[in-house]
Amino acid sequence: MNKPHRDTICVEEAEIISHDAWPGNQYILRILAEGIAADAKPGSFVHLTVDPQRPMRRPISIMRANPKTGMVDLLYKVVGEGTTLLSHRKPGERINVMGPIGNGFTVDQTRSLPLLIGGGVGMPPMIFLAEHYTELAGYHPFVILGSEVPFPFQAEPSKLIIPGMPDGVIAGVPLLEEWGIPSRLTSLQGYPGCHEGYVTDLARQWLDAMDESDRKQVIIYSCGPHPMLEAVAKLAKAYNLPCQVSLEEFMACAVGGCAGCVVKVETDTGPAMKRVCVDGPVFEAATVF
Amino acid sequence: MNEADQAMLAVDFCGLSLTSPLVLLSGCVGFGEEYTRVRGYSNRDAGAVCLKGTTLEPRLGNRPHRVYETAMGMLNAIGLQNPGARYVVDKILPTLDFSETRFIANLSGSTVEEYAEVARIFDDSPIDAMEINISCPNVKEGGVAFGNDPDMSARVVAACRKATSKPIITKLSPNQTNIAENARRCIEAGTDGFAVINTLMGMAIDIEDRVPIIGNNQGGLSGPAIKPIALLKVHQVYQVCREHGIPIIGQGGVNSVQDALEFLIAGASAVGVGTALFYDPLICPKLNRGIVDYLKRHGLSHVAQLTGSLRLNS
Repeated sequence: MNKPHRDTICVEEAEIISHDAWPGNQYILRILAEGIAADAKPGSFVHLTVDPQRPMRRPISIMRANPKTGMVDLLYKVVGEGTTLLSHRKPGERINVMGPIGNGFTVDQTRSLPLLIGGGVGMPPMIFLAEHYTELAGYHPFVILGSEVPFPFQAEPSKLIIPGMPDGVIAGVPLLEEWGIPSRLTSLQGYPGCHEGYVTDLARQWLDAMDESDRKQVIIYSCGPHPMLEAVAKLAKAYNLPCQVSLEEFMACAVGGCAGCVVKVETDTGPAMKRVCVDGPVFEAATVF
Repeated sequence: MNEADQAMLAVDFCGLSLTSPLVLLSGCVGFGEEYTRVRGYSNRDAGAVCLKGTTLEPRLGNRPHRVYETAMGMLNAIGLQNPGARYVVDKILPTLDFSETRFIANLSGSTVEEYAEVARIFDDSPIDAMEINISCPNVKEGGVAFGNDPDMSARVVAACRKATSKPIITKLSPNQTNIAENARRCIEAGTDGFAVINTLMGMAIDIEDRVPIIGNNQGGLSGPAIKPIALLKVHQVYQVCREHGIPIIGQGGVNSVQDALEFLIAGASAVGVGTALFYDPLICPKLNRGIVDYLKRHGLSHVAQLTGSLRLNS
């Protein structure tokens, strides 16, 4: 019997290569996990142990994965005891990691203008997806990231012009800039060069500045806090644009076994509880919101 | 593991030949295929796999959050999300590889009649045995409301007994006054075995919003935190089962070889593994190896020799 789902998730004792603290209790963790790096896709995540005294693993989305070097980069924020314990782990130590897990984002070949919107620790999948677009010809992605704590990178003025941006909104992500992908940042905290407002404000201005035929080329991808995703989904609906969102939920098994991490979605046959881990984490926004 | 070692682990449970005493618990492994996503995992490392709790009609289950970590434990309130017994039998069982392990259905209902109807549906299927869940703490009707009342427990078991000739395993609740009395009544009603214990009812609170974290407000507590309670319950139920030759799956917080051995010694013939899979999906071969090593170290030839070998302090 054909069972394509089998053997798709690796369990690795991954070495911690680097573990850098950023303001706002954020950490970028680089691990050597060759099996996971080989198969990771934008939107997929890992499920890792934080400490033998904590019986549940923690799901963390993948920011970058390099199949050649085996390196996997993760960004997380300390929010409780589990992530606090994780933040104490040092380079050279090993950490048990399962992955890659989940259905990632789907590139729509009919839409050349992907808009990537990430908020807080929802930024990593947007970075991963942006990097994926660098390997594809004919697409012109634009990335908007929002954060209410300092961004976990050194923002720099962007040299890539984006029509419709308010005056002074010039801060971008250096890594994306290197890849030739324009980006802009938003925050209510008044960080220099950032738009003081919501990610959806900038998205709206970007959409309004383009003509109707271009707008038909737009698809929105997003990951971030639930209220932000709801606002993004509403925006997509208002502009009649397809939108894929990556969700998070408390998770136990992460392989589809426990149905602990569900989200209610609308299907052709009525409402259903879908597992964020293996049915998602990426869903069509219109089915969730 | 070589054949001789594997033979040391073979267990007869309610007439089912299990290649290992390890049983993967209902609600942890979906409908039997989910963990096969993990490289290195095999259903063959478990003697049996209990499928997700199944009711007559499909159920959406509870609102999120459904799981939450607590001190050395986990709360869950899934609410018996399942596609209904007919769908499980018609669409899911045909996709399982019954050469890998023994598959056990887990039956739930809101009425005695519903339990019996689900049992009838599974009776006409390749399923190896049925576990009667009269101890689910996370649904409003049925579940633990039946399991905490020996009369109701016995009625459910008797109704299922009439509906099937397949082995029946009754999953007992720890949330009751006298688990041994309940076990005795279930034996009279025709159960072939027991699973001891289901989760304990618990709660966690978000102190900022002053609301329960679990969407269902309360949930079932599992994991290492409940092991001492589970062990005592197994010991108590074993006192009733011993004279009738009724076997027990001992379960609740099994996380290590030591834990598995404790349950066997307390009176279990098989050992349930649930929450521990979430931490280590590859735990079963390690437990199997560890049990064999223990048997050899103690000059024992077979795991069944451990069952109920507890010597109480006088």
